[in-house]
Amino acid sequence: MAEISEAPDSDSSKLLGSDSKAPQRPDSEPEFDPKLMRKTKPGLKRLFLTFSVLFSFLLGFPFLWKSVEIYRSPLPFREIDSLSTQLRSDTLLFPLHFHALFVGFDSDPDRLRWSILSEITKLTSQNPKCSDNYTLSVTVDLGSRCLRGPTSSPHSSSYQCGSVTGDDFVQNDDVVVDERLASVFGGKNNEYSMAVVKGVSERAVVGKYRHAWMVVGDGSDVEMAVVKVAEVLIKVFINGGREEGLIRNEFMPVGADGKIVLSFNLLNADPHDWVYDWDFEKIDDTLLTPMIEALGPVANISVESQVLYHTPKASFSYWNQKLESYVFSTKDLPFFVNSNEWHLDTSIAAGGRSKILQFAVYVPSAKECPLLLQLPNGEISKTNGFISPMWGGVIVWNPQGCLKDSEFKPSAKNIIPIQDLENMFEVFIGQFRQLFGFKSLNVYTGASGDWNLLPSERGFTEWELDVLSRQHTCFNLHSCATTLGSLSRLVQSLPRMIIKDEIGKQVKLSLEAAKLALSNASSGVYEFSAASSSQARSLAEDAFFHPSIMSVSYYSFEHCFAVYSPFFLPVSMHVVLAALRELRRYKQEKAKYLAWKAKANTAT
Amino acid sequence: METFINPKSLFHLLLLPCLLLYSSIAYNSSPVEAAMHTNNWAVLVCTSRFWFNYRHMANTLSLYRTVKRLGIPDERIILMLADDMACNTRNKYPAQVFNNENHRLNLYGDNVEVDYRGYEVTVENFLRVLTGRHETAVPRSKRLLSDEGSHILLYMTGHGGDEFLKFQDSEELQSHDLADAVKQMKEKHRFKELLIMVDTCQAATLFNQLQSPGVLAIGSSMKGENSYSHHLDSDVGVSVVDRFTYYTLAFFERLNIYDNASLSSLFSSYNPSLLMSTAYYRKDLYKRRLEEVPVTNFFGSVMETIHTDAAYKALSRRNSGRFEDEMSLDQSVHHIKRRMLIKVNDGDEIHDINPELLQGEEGASKCPWSTFRNKFQKAENVDSLLNYGLVAMIPLLVISTWLVQ
Repeated sequence: MAEISEAPDSDSSKLLGSDSKAPQRPDSEPEFDPKLMRKTKPGLKRLFLTFSVLFSFLLGFPFLWKSVEIYRSPLPFREIDSLSTQLRSDTLLFPLHFHALFVGFDSDPDRLRWSILSEITKLTSQNPKCSDNYTLSVTVDLGSRCLRGPTSSPHSSSYQCGSVTGDDFVQNDDVVVDERLASVFGGKNNEYSMAVVKGVSERAVVGKYRHAWMVVGDGSDVEMAVVKVAEVLIKVFINGGREEGLIRNEFMPVGADGKIVLSFNLLNADPHDWVYDWDFEKIDDTLLTPMIEALGPVANISVESQVLYHTPKASFSYWNQKLESYVFSTKDLPFFVNSNEWHLDTSIAAGGRSKILQFAVYVPSAKECPLLLQLPNGEISKTNGFISPMWGGVIVWNPQGCLKDSEFKPSAKNIIPIQDLENMFEVFIGQFRQLFGFKSLNVYTGASGDWNLLPSERGFTEWELDVLSRQHTCFNLHSCATTLGSLSRLVQSLPRMIIKDEIGKQVKLSLEAAKLALSNASSGVYEFSAASSSQARSLAEDAFFHPSIMSVSYYSFEHCFAVYSPFFLPVSMHVVLAALRELRRYKQEKAKYLAWKAKANTAT
Repeated sequence: METFINPKSLFHLLLLPCLLLYSSIAYNSSPVEAAMHTNNWAVLVCTSRFWFNYRHMANTLSLYRTVKRLGIPDERIILMLADDMACNTRNKYPAQVFNNENHRLNLYGDNVEVDYRGYEVTVENFLRVLTGRHETAVPRSKRLLSDEGSHILLYMTGHGGDEFLKFQDSEELQSHDLADAVKQMKEKHRFKELLIMVDTCQAATLFNQLQSPGVLAIGSSMKGENSYSHHLDSDVGVSVVDRFTYYTLAFFERLNIYDNASLSSLFSSYNPSLLMSTAYYRKDLYKRRLEEVPVTNFFGSVMETIHTDAAYKALSRRNSGRFEDEMSLDQSVHHIKRRMLIKVNDGDEIHDINPELLQGEEGASKCPWSTFRNKFQKAENVDSLLNYGLVAMIPLLVISTWLVQ
């Protein structure tokens, strides 16, 4: 293509050195040095070929880069940080309203209000995590008219003047009084009411709903009443009967996925003596189901039961002649559960992150029957039971046979009598309450006196459920924020770890649930906030514990290098070298040609 | 003017910001409420295969037996054995594993529950157990379900070296992997205190990189030292126990569940001349004094118990005659059965709904370009990208061949 002209002359000229037979026309042609000159333009074909190979490699490089890119689903780091700071700085505030009603007193409501508030501030502790934003309104009912303070409060104006009189409290039945007050006060979601009445017999009771009442004698002054009112409002309605405000972690037995499995076990220590069975379904339906429904917002609870045989206990007991029974003390309690023989861990309903609480009924053998628990002060326990936080509870039940052995005929299978079973389950419900941090006793002993706590058929009263919802919302939201914070720190510290889409979605859903819980909490709807906070926590835990986040399996840079370099390094070296060499050759040839052209031009 | 700047005022001037700083630090560091010690866990790992590593299996099983005898139940022990010695064809005493040539104790006798066996003992599974990141189908018995009140004993034995521990003769656990796993456990409050015991060669190097608080670690030998076996059982044909574990067991055989010997007595019972190596322990991350910590805090199980004072008497108010009403009971029984069935189905449905919800955003889009982009970004994009790249190279090839002609 390019080298057509002057072909024969250049051929002959390329053969020999400068002193060849070329100079036939020494005048027209100048000296030709084939090493330094060439007569034809150098071709571009070779250059083009090598550069096209190089160019194709360069073109393919972005595709290669994209193909080895680590897939990281974008996590909303800023929103996670903002949730953490939001929870840390402005503490989670639950709005509460207290309403105190004084019947038969002749006092100024504003002064009463001021003194109650000052008592309350003495009692509230500094709780950095979650505190309560409360308002107080006082009503003094003088029979004919009512004095309210503050006058413009919307809550106290809902109370009809004269609906509560001293006559309501004359009878001694607390339940009836409770129902009557419930119809008066209404018991809306975050309003707690307190009625102080002048009457004959002194009594202080906290009802099943969201109110309490106190009957004081004629002679007592209103200041004592104020102190007691403040105490019940803070210690009972807000703290749930506990000393400190926040439940400690060992009294929150809810699993990370918001589920609890209650596993009920009937343990026959020695089946050679007697074998006992129970009618669990009956008792489950009547006694346990209402409680499980009541705790719905806090945890998703399921129930299992089993009967085991050959399950002796691990500690020892000794015969006490005075009590005519075998006695074990509270010092033996930590060693009572014989984990080698008690195979309690055979749950099929529990998922990987649920919490299992074991409730065991221990039926002792004939050699140790009856078996009683002796307390450190020498008394015999009324319940014969104990709990271990985060594990469950144990009750020792002595069968009829050892109490009056002459009449007892051991048959193949005995059923635990219904009355005993009911009593046992009442103790179980008390133990369940203990596991959640409440007391199983029905009395609150405060600094200024005792209060009777009315029990509820559902195992937890309304105000106790409120306390649980608030505490669990607080705990769940903080746990969610810390988990998401840990996850974001972990993800940012391993820049080459693959993060799947599922994790990103779980984080997003968790943040949405947390926002919903916060807004519900600030508007006072405790149940929904507890439910969404537990959902937020379980989603955050799912994201953090996703099985694909394993540091051994992330795609390190050394791995990438070691896989691709054995092919690409030699090949790229050859390609680049070839291109450079061709370029250099082309430049040289071009220089030669230009030199010849220059010489030819100067010759002519 | 100089008289104002006397030492006293200078001291006061310096004191004020210091006080402010101190109070701000004290305020910012939130009071960490120490969780109550609620339970004990044990993770016992034997990492060696092959018959001649019989002693590592015997080490692990001896410690398993000790820990069970002192009270930790099977549900809180994770036992990982990399090979099966008891039913090995070279075992002259089938189904029996001994740790002493007097054959007094059969370690594999009764009630041995092995959670991870054989080839399931890998570095990945070990780290999954520690960090808790399992697949959803892994059963509870294979998970470390500890909480913020748990004390965990982690015992590892096998062949090791400088900053690594060999697993299954084919992979290694490095010290930084272990440190990373412990750090993640601490972040997620999976333990209150952790005791790591390692019985390998150069064991103390394995916990060099630990930095999480609340961890106490002891290794059978220091860097550059080997750990040796104790004695050879000529009947079985292999060494049956290592020195470090042998003397540990000698210490524990004297104890029962009620004793409160302290950790410092355990650590000081190791005699370097008998061990033929130096048992080194690291306590800079552990806040409590070793003299005050009983060994049953890690090796045994002591439950915290609270007595139940009273029954919750709401239910006695109910009509106790309700149980004699048979008709309503039968209905309620049926209702229960139906309720249980419904519950099971609900569980399945809920599991099905969630992934659909999660993928709901990738609905059908009409525009082909967006479907193309969606397909491009889905899971199989790596292969398709390569295909597209290769296809794009073909015109280049064509052009270059045309130019050659």
